[in-house]
Amino acid sequence: MPSSPATPPRRVAITAMGVVSPLGWGAEVNALGLRAGREAVAAVTAFDVSRTRCKTAGQVEKMKSDECRKSKRLHPASRMLMAAAREAQAQDSGFVPELAVIGTTSGGMSFGEQYFRAQVAGTRPRERAAWLANYLPQKAVADALEACGFSCPNQIIANACASGTNAVGHAFRLVRAGLHQRVLCGGYDALSEMVFVGFDSLQASTPEKIRPFDKNRTGLVLGEGAAVLALEEMESARARGVAILAEVTGYGISTDNHHLTQPHPSGIGPRQAMERALADARRAPGEVDYINAHGTATAFNDGTEGTAIAQIFGDRVPVSSTKSMMGHALGAAGAIEAVFSVLALRGQFLPPNINYAEPDPAWTLDIVANTARAARVRCVVSNSFGFGGTNASLVLEGA
Amino acid sequence: MNAHIAGMGWVTPLGTGLDDVFARIHRGEVAEVKSVTNPETGRALSCMPVPMKFVEALSRNPRLRRSSAISYFAVAAGLAAQADAGIEMTPEVAARTAVIFAISDGGAIYTRKFYDQIVKQGANAASPLLFPETVYNAPASHLAALLGIDGASYTLVGDGSVGLAALHFGAQLLTLGGIDQCVVVGSEECDWILCEAYGEWRLGGSPLAEGAAAVVLRREGRWKVDTHPGVTFFRRSAAGAALERAAHGVGAGAETDWVAAGANRTFVDAIENAVLARVCPQAPVLRIKHALGEAPGAGALCQVVAAALSGRADVLVSAVGLNQQAGAARVVRVG
Repeated sequence: MPSSPATPPRRVAITAMGVVSPLGWGAEVNALGLRAGREAVAAVTAFDVSRTRCKTAGQVEKMKSDECRKSKRLHPASRMLMAAAREAQAQDSGFVPELAVIGTTSGGMSFGEQYFRAQVAGTRPRERAAWLANYLPQKAVADALEACGFSCPNQIIANACASGTNAVGHAFRLVRAGLHQRVLCGGYDALSEMVFVGFDSLQASTPEKIRPFDKNRTGLVLGEGAAVLALEEMESARARGVAILAEVTGYGISTDNHHLTQPHPSGIGPRQAMERALADARRAPGEVDYINAHGTATAFNDGTEGTAIAQIFGDRVPVSSTKSMMGHALGAAGAIEAVFSVLALRGQFLPPNINYAEPDPAWTLDIVANTARAARVRCVVSNSFGFGGTNASLVLEGA
Repeated sequence: MNAHIAGMGWVTPLGTGLDDVFARIHRGEVAEVKSVTNPETGRALSCMPVPMKFVEALSRNPRLRRSSAISYFAVAAGLAAQADAGIEMTPEVAARTAVIFAISDGGAIYTRKFYDQIVKQGANAASPLLFPETVYNAPASHLAALLGIDGASYTLVGDGSVGLAALHFGAQLLTLGGIDQCVVVGSEECDWILCEAYGEWRLGGSPLAEGAAAVVLRREGRWKVDTHPGVTFFRRSAAGAALERAAHGVGAGAETDWVAAGANRTFVDAIENAVLARVCPQAPVLRIKHALGEAPGAGALCQVVAAALSGRADVLVSAVGLNQQAGAARVVRVG
């Protein structure tokens, strides 16, 4: 049951995490990439981009150890989510989730594309059974759970680009309220031609470099990846003697019905999400040390998010978008950025916002420009905002 | 968790009236099966569409002018449930109302059309008007806008059990606080590519169907509903045990006096029959997908609506998805 006002809310520990991103496989490699400000955006190799404006994306390198027969039949999304879940499990083998809450936007879309292309070509290739079986979003989640020997129920949130943050936030609330003691949460998405062309058709993606919050930003580039976090009620985690990596302390969500693909220009959606997350964590804006922004580098997103951050925090809190290094991983982004936030808390550094050249005069923000900074980091806000007007923010704190 | 059904609505191939459609199902009527053609191969396929006349009025709404059928069905069912629950949407009510949307195959029509443009005309010819409607949560966004809801909005995706997962999610949100009610909606649309894929994957079964169902969940209402998070299974041989655990998890047993089953003329039927014979052998069973077809995102919530309309005191709703979870809910009449 949820905590009554007289009972202090349960604290929610992160006891393990795993991440696969264009920066690499595993938290350690990703931390090195963040500290170095490594650019992991490159020419797209998975499909033809000769007729799109944008030609680049953050792509996850294939892993050689992945070549066993069963794994080859799986969608790349499954392989990424399995690797992230196994990494978390290796850190905390005693963590057995009661529930998994995972975000995604497109599941195994590229297998659906291949199935359609076979229809158009009038062929019936042998692989079509595997395409159908591995296309749907629940398959990657089932594969990851099975790979770890977990048999818990699962909830798959598809709130567009906010999915990963919504998954972590909902899991956090369930544990804090005592409805579950241990929840595995995260997100995944793999690059697909359809989604790539979709953003290109909207002219939301850029043929140039991704430059979040820069005055001359021209749009996003897509990315891919997967991340999971093991959330557990603090006392339970302490009783098991497991290392506590960080805490989730707040979650805020808002819905902006202005337009299917564009946020309200006032920034009310992002502002409400951040204000609600701070209130949930019982933190004042001045107590925040770093904001991992949604920062897609589109005119609309950065315009509204920058306005909302400036309204709440002024220029006192350092801000960066780690999408500048790896692109926008859509349903995985919020989970990956939650892991990045934990890396910042544990490593006491601020990941950089690379490709940043000129401040946008619309607001005054302390952008962590181009190189990582050493800093005292105790409290982080991580933002995700999506199509459909879904806005979500997390507050994460050091253990 | 304490969740009650305070209002309902549905859009089905047989119609939209709650009692009318239920009576027709109960009489054994079956929705008309239509033929659709795979334009690439010329192959004839079957589906049970919702006649567009049922949602025609919504096509004049500016917000929906570029939307696909799945959004029309979702909004129509949601509006009906909102009216049935007597919700007057003030700003205060809107902020304390959540939308939970269940979806399985997404906006299949626009997704297929958009990718068709990429394949046949080139990426530079793909229409930016289609792409936003391919996103899983596009119907939820339209739903929230047209119902006037600006509280939390979540879209859950999954197999045919996703409606029950969404119901459980709604019950979780009510328990967590911060909202007074949530509108839980599931919706599905048909396209030839889905008919082709499901036909090939399932090797038969009830025709793929269109439709939507919606329930308004509150802490008080006309029916108490016990929800379950679902039981994950990794292979079909484990699906029976999964369903049995879910059914016991919601307290089904000797008290159960009716079952709204999820049977869809696939492997699910035998599994479900065996479980029901063990859990509640005395309870009559209604298999609504035999009448309405299989609309994966909407089907389980249609079963919930049928359970409430049955007039019975204690109804089990059971669902076995194709490759994710088995789920159950228990709908108990209040008073």
